[in-house]
This record gives sequence, structure tokens and C-alpha cells, in this order.
Amino acid sequence: MKNVFLKIALLLVALNMSVAAWAQVSFTAEAPALTAMDRPFRVEFCVNNEPDSDSFKAPTFEGFDVLAGPSLSTGHSVQWVNGRQSSSYTCTYTYVLLPTASGTFTIGAASVKVDGKSYSTKPFPVEVIAESDAQTQQQHSVPSQQRTPESRIAKDDILLRFKLSNTDVYKGESIRASLVLYTRVNIEHLESVEVPSFDDFWSQEVTFDNAPQREEYNGRVYETYKIAEYLLSPQRSGRITIEPAMVEAVAQVVVQDNRAFDPIFGGRQIYHVTREARTPAITINVKEFPAGAPASFGGAVGSFTMQSKMPESSIMANTAESIEITISGSGNLKFITTPKIAMPESFEVYDTKVVDNVKVTASGTSGSITYTYPFVARSAGEFVIEPISFTYFDTATGEYKTLSTERFMMSVADDGSSKQEAAIVGGYADYGGRMKQLDRDIRFIHTGNLPQRAASVFVLSPIYWLIVVVVLAAFITIYAIMRKRIRENRNVVAQRMKHADKVAVQRLRMAQRYMQEGQRHHFYDELLKAMWGYISDKFNIPVSNLTKETIREELYRRQVSAADAEQFCQIISRADEAQYAPSTDGDMGEVYADAVEVISKIESIVKR
Amino acid sequence: MIRTYIYNISLYIVMLAAVLLSTQTVTAADSKTTAESVWQQGVKAYTDKEYDRAVECFEQVVALGYGSADVYYNLGDAYFKRGQHNISGTNRPFAAGELGKAIINYYRALRLEPSMKDARYNLDLARDHTNDTEAVPQALLARAWYALRDTMSSNSWAVISVVVLVVTLLLVLLYLLSSRVVLRKVAFFVAIVTAVVFVITTILALSQRAAYLNDERAVVMCNDTTPVHASPDSSSKIVRQPSQGVTVDVVREHGEWSEIEFADGEKGWIRTTAIERI
Repeated sequence: MKNVFLKIALLLVALNMSVAAWAQVSFTAEAPALTAMDRPFRVEFCVNNEPDSDSFKAPTFEGFDVLAGPSLSTGHSVQWVNGRQSSSYTCTYTYVLLPTASGTFTIGAASVKVDGKSYSTKPFPVEVIAESDAQTQQQHSVPSQQRTPESRIAKDDILLRFKLSNTDVYKGESIRASLVLYTRVNIEHLESVEVPSFDDFWSQEVTFDNAPQREEYNGRVYETYKIAEYLLSPQRSGRITIEPAMVEAVAQVVVQDNRAFDPIFGGRQIYHVTREARTPAITINVKEFPAGAPASFGGAVGSFTMQSKMPESSIMANTAESIEITISGSGNLKFITTPKIAMPESFEVYDTKVVDNVKVTASGTSGSITYTYPFVARSAGEFVIEPISFTYFDTATGEYKTLSTERFMMSVADDGSSKQEAAIVGGYADYGGRMKQLDRDIRFIHTGNLPQRAASVFVLSPIYWLIVVVVLAAFITIYAIMRKRIRENRNVVAQRMKHADKVAVQRLRMAQRYMQEGQRHHFYDELLKAMWGYISDKFNIPVSNLTKETIREELYRRQVSAADAEQFCQIISRADEAQYAPSTDGDMGEVYADAVEVISKIESIVKR
Repeated sequence: MIRTYIYNISLYIVMLAAVLLSTQTVTAADSKTTAESVWQQGVKAYTDKEYDRAVECFEQVVALGYGSADVYYNLGDAYFKRGQHNISGTNRPFAAGELGKAIINYYRALRLEPSMKDARYNLDLARDHTNDTEAVPQALLARAWYALRDTMSSNSWAVISVVVLVVTLLLVLLYLLSSRVVLRKVAFFVAIVTAVVFVITTILALSQRAAYLNDERAVVMCNDTTPVHASPDSSSKIVRQPSQGVTVDVVREHGEWSEIEFADGEKGWIRTTAIERI
């Protein structure tokens, strides 16, 4: 059993060795690119495989004093992750160098042999600067043992700065702002970070490479750490101030103890010092866009391209179609206003769909936005879609650039149902009973000659009253006059009715005289006059309007019996016949007697 | 004798009217020609889209005393168009003050000629651009009554009522004096109908007259929005912020403040300079 384990262990070691041997050999050099005159620094040459013994050759460190080295350290690690084994091996040669002069020096190539093969590093430059040593000198003027840990950190040993890519920008142009901690001491950790709210900016935090770097600032060399990085896009023009950011950093201070050589209690003491660092307030000058922006400009800043995808050039009515516009490039993509499309009036247009594929990186916002304009053509015909324009402001050239699509012709074929679907009536499009107003504008002014000045209010005005009074007066007058006349008229009629019988009697008397004289013709004439006249006067009917029928009717209405009416008419007929006929004298007396009888009979009935 | 008397009276009326007219025409003879030419200039300016000039011309016509419904209508159009055009550099659909001016002039045109359809259409359209509230909805009968009233001006209604009065009286005469029964019967019933028509048209004429003489209505004339306060004091609570062109009724005035009532019944105080009466 034991034997088996041993065998497996041996196998693993063997595998290990082979894995190490198979791995790609890399040989690199590491050193800060920047250092100060009196600051020693390390240079490390690192190989990830076991080198052949004594095969390492160091370059000549010209311009530097070698304080220590080469010191060799090796490391070996084996990892099992999810059943997979990986191992790494490092071998590091370390030198500690002290610059002897300022300037840029090149550290040449080091070489090493692995399994007989030779590898070398790339030569790299190291810049050495002479620091302005005011503070440094001051620091050293006081014996180090008497200083408190706090005073060991100078005011400008820890600084916080905003590094801006640009401070003179156009509205909407993006600025990269990195919050960087500059330090000359060891920072253990950051206690708190306060970031301003970036008022008047659209801000977006971006990912960044947080490897520490070295940088010269104010003539001194600092380690720099990026704390945060933002992409800022000013939303208004003018001078905008970024409020200070604040960081509380805990620095590590190592103090050589008084009893430095005490083997038990003496040695190094480590203190933690908390320091607050603030950025200075920064003002950014935001420029307004120059005048003369085209109508299609909607605040886009950057550099863009536009692609369009039109539907087929011949489509069916009442079918959903869409136009697609894609704007891609870098700039304030998120703030672009949707480009407008002038659709024909009979097209039913729906809400535009916006899909963005925008990435915010440290170098700015880039990507593409796709606008989809769905529509349904409601009536057949030939239609033109005018060029779609998109204007952006190019910050590189400082001028507006307009991208346009081609003018697009489209023919819509009738699908058979479009007739009842869409009818455009007086500015309204009627889609199956759903009225949609297309466009409204005020109606045109009235032309022609200058109209009459406005009349004053007529009702209740003096003229109105005058007219009313005149009308009423006319009415009353006309009524009075007419009434009087009618009354007079009526009197005549009454008289005549009253005297009707007397007139008749007079005429009959005349007729009697003619009878006695034997004048037949005159007798009948007078008799007829008496009879017709009696009816005419009595019933107020003109003689010309009288016939036998009307006489019968009138008598009937006055309750005279039909027999009497008949007799009356008969006498008239007899008289008419006898007037011109040669006849005997005897019937004259008979007719006369009958006439007198019937008239007196009617008179007695009508009078009642 | 009576006939000659009536003849004399009517002669006097005609002469009186002629004298009144002639005195007016004598004083306005030259201003009439000026107004005519200014009116034509205004129409031309509007057609050429020179709305500043058009506004100036039509205002001058009004100042000359020829402010008829058509002139006010054109003036409203000119203000509306000027408001739409002078908006360079602003996001507003209208330049300050122009919409209010347009609306008040449409109201003035409608006051003189309530049946002017163009003016009513444009007024509705212009009021869509304000934040005016909807009036309290009226009963169907009331709406029908006002619709009927607004088909004609007060004067037209008055003339109709007088004509109907004459017809009614003639029918009454026929009824009183005719000897034929059928004629009298017909005359009697028709006279009743025309009498009712006379009463209605007279009431319409009076109602229209009251609307015409109503000087309580006003339009808010400020630039963007003016605060309407709860009391005549600028530090008091703000009740509402009407935009230009909102129609209000002036209830009363107090110092440099006016109490106004909105279409929906809300009341408040506004500076008198911020409103203009129709």
C-alpha cells in the first residue's frame, strides 16, 4: 500500500517537472521608469523556469551605483483548481541601484540560459530627475529619532488630483477625468473617498487599469494610484467648476527605534498616520455650439456615420413595414435626439423603437444606436420619402456635419381593402372610423375691400324703439280705418236687408200696375227684378253671382223648406219663359199671386 | 288725412337718418380712403408673410375706427403667424405675448359677428396652444340655445324680430277684419306662431346684445406664465399659473389687482396689467 502512494507521489513530481519544462520560457526586467536622484530603486530580472547555473549575465548599470545584488530568490507554487493542476516557478535576480546623475539612462539587456537556450531581456530606459530638494533637506535637518511619526510625512507627500483629458470643450463633448492619488510614502489603505456630484455633467464611471505608476509632479517623483475614473459630458455651456474630491489615506511610517541595536525590544516601530487630501477645484470652460446649426441638429457631438435600411421599393398597402436608421461612431450617443422622418400623410406611423449598443470606456462613449420607424401605408400610390438628415458637431474640425440618406421612392400596391380603410377628408385621415387629424393651421385672412365699420347695437336703440312704435301706430291706425269702413259697409248691408221686403213690395206694386195696363213684357221684367233683388238684398249676394242653385242653397241654409225653395225657382222659370212668349192674360195674375205668396212666406221664415 | 300723416312721419325718419349718416361721412371722408389703403397694405403684407407689417397695418385700421369683425379676424391671424415665426432661439411654439393678442382679436371679431366660422375655428385652434381649462359643461338645451344665438349677430336678430312683428300684426289685422271664416282661422293660428317667433327672436337679440356689451371677459396677456394669487398681494399663495391666451371673467378690481374667474370656476387675483379686456 505504502509503495503505491510513493509511486504516485513520484509520478506527480515527474509530471511536475515536465509541466515546468513545457511551459513557455519568459524572461523580463522590471524597474520604475522614473526615479529621483537620491532614491535607491530595485531592478528585477525574472525568469519563469529554472535557469542553468551561472548562466545569468547582468547588464552594465551605467549611471547607477549598484548598492546590492545580485540576490537570487526562487519561488515555486503548485495549484489544484477544480481537479486541474498548474504550477509556476519563478527565479528573480534583484539589484538595488542608486542613480548617480540626472538624465535618462538605458539599462541594457540581461541574458540567461534555460536548458541550453539563451534568453535576454529588452533594454529599457530609466529617467532620473534631480528633485527640488527644499523639503527633503528640511526633513533631514532634524534628527530622525526626535521627530513624531506625523511630522515624518510632509504636506505634499500625499496629494490628490483630478487628471482631465481636456478643460476646454464643447457642450456634450466627453472629458476623461481620473482621480489620482500621488504619494511619496507607503499607503496602507484608504479610509474614505468622497467624490463630487459632478453637477451640470452627465457622468459615468468607467473601468480602469489600477496598476501603480510613477510620475513626476512639481519636480518630484510620486507613486500614483488611480482611485476612480469618470467620463464627463457637460450639459450646459459656460464655466463649470468641479467641486473638490476628498480622500482619507492611512500611511505607514517606519521609525528606527532609539534602541535600534537592542536585540530584544529595539528595532523598527511602525506607525499609522491618517492624512486627508483634497483636489483643488477645477474649472472647465464649456463652449456653446457655433451659430447656424441646421434644423436636423439635435445635440450630437462627436464623429458618426449613418446607415439606413429602407423597405422594398414596392410594398403592399396595410402591411407593416419599417425604416431603420443606424447611427454609429463615438460621441454623446446617448443624447442623440431621434432623427425625424417626413412620412407621407396616408402612412400610419407608430412609435419609434430605439435600440442602443453603446459602450462607455475610458476613451469615450462609442457604439451604435438603431432607430426603427414602423409604419403602415394605408392607401395605394407612389410615395416619396424625403432624405433623412442627421447633423452632428465635429469637435475635431469645429463645424457641423450633416449625413443624409438618399431620396427614396416607394410604390404602394393596393391590397383590395384600402378603399374603405383610408380616406383623407378635410385634413383628417379616417382609418376605419378612427379619425386622426393630420395637420391644422389657422384659416387665411379675409381679403377684398375694407368692410363696413361695425354697426352699433340696434335692439333697444332709439331707432329700434322708433320703428317699433311706428309699426304699432301703423297697425292701430290701419285697424281703426278698416274697422270704420267695415262698420259703415255693414250698415249698408243691414239697411238693404231690412228694406229687402219693402223694395220687393214696391217692385211687385209696379208689376201689378203693368199687369193692369196689360204690358206683359214689363210686368215679367219687374216681377223677376223683384224676386232676384229680394234674394240679393236679403242675403247680401250680388245679383251677378245669383243662380237658381245658389238661391236654393241659400234658402236651404236659412231653414226654408225645399218645397218653398222649389216654388220660388219655378216662379222664376215661369216668368222667364212667359216674358217673351205670346200667352193669355190670365196667367199673369196667377204668377203674381204665387210670387207674393212665396216671398211673404220666405220673409216670415227668414225674419225669425 | 291719416295717410298723409304717416307719410310725413316716414319722411322725417328718412331725413333724420340721412342727416346723421351725412354728418358721419363728412368727418370720415378722408379717413375712409386712408383706412382702405392701409387695409389693402395689410392684406398684401400678410400674403407676403411680412407679419410685422401686417399687424401694424390692421392695428392702424382699427385705430382709424374701422374695427369690423373682418379687421379683427385678420389682426388675430397676423398676430398668430407672427408669434409662430418670431421664435428664433427659443423652444416655445409661440413668441411671447403674440398668442394672447391673437386670441383676444378673434374674440373681438366674434363679438361683432358671432356667426363668423373662420374666426371660431381659428380661436379654437389658438386656444389649443394655451393651458386653458375646459369650461363646466352646459346642459344640452343651454348649448343648443347658445348655438342658435351665435348663428347671427344681435342686429340681425333684431331686424328679424321687427319683420316678424310686422307680419304678426298684419295677420292680426287679417283676423280682425276678414269676413271669411277660413281666412280668419288660418290668420289666427299663424299669428300665434309668428308671435312666439317674435318673442324668441327678440330675446335672442337682447341676449346677444348682453353678450356684446359684456365687458367682464378678458384674456391673459403675459409672456410665459403669470401667477394668480389667492389674494391681491404678491406674497400670497399662488392658485394657478395660466399661460398667455387663457380666457377669464373679471369679477372686480382692487387697486392694481383684478379678481378673475376661470372657465372652470376657480377664482384668483392677477395684476390688472397682465390681462386685457375683450
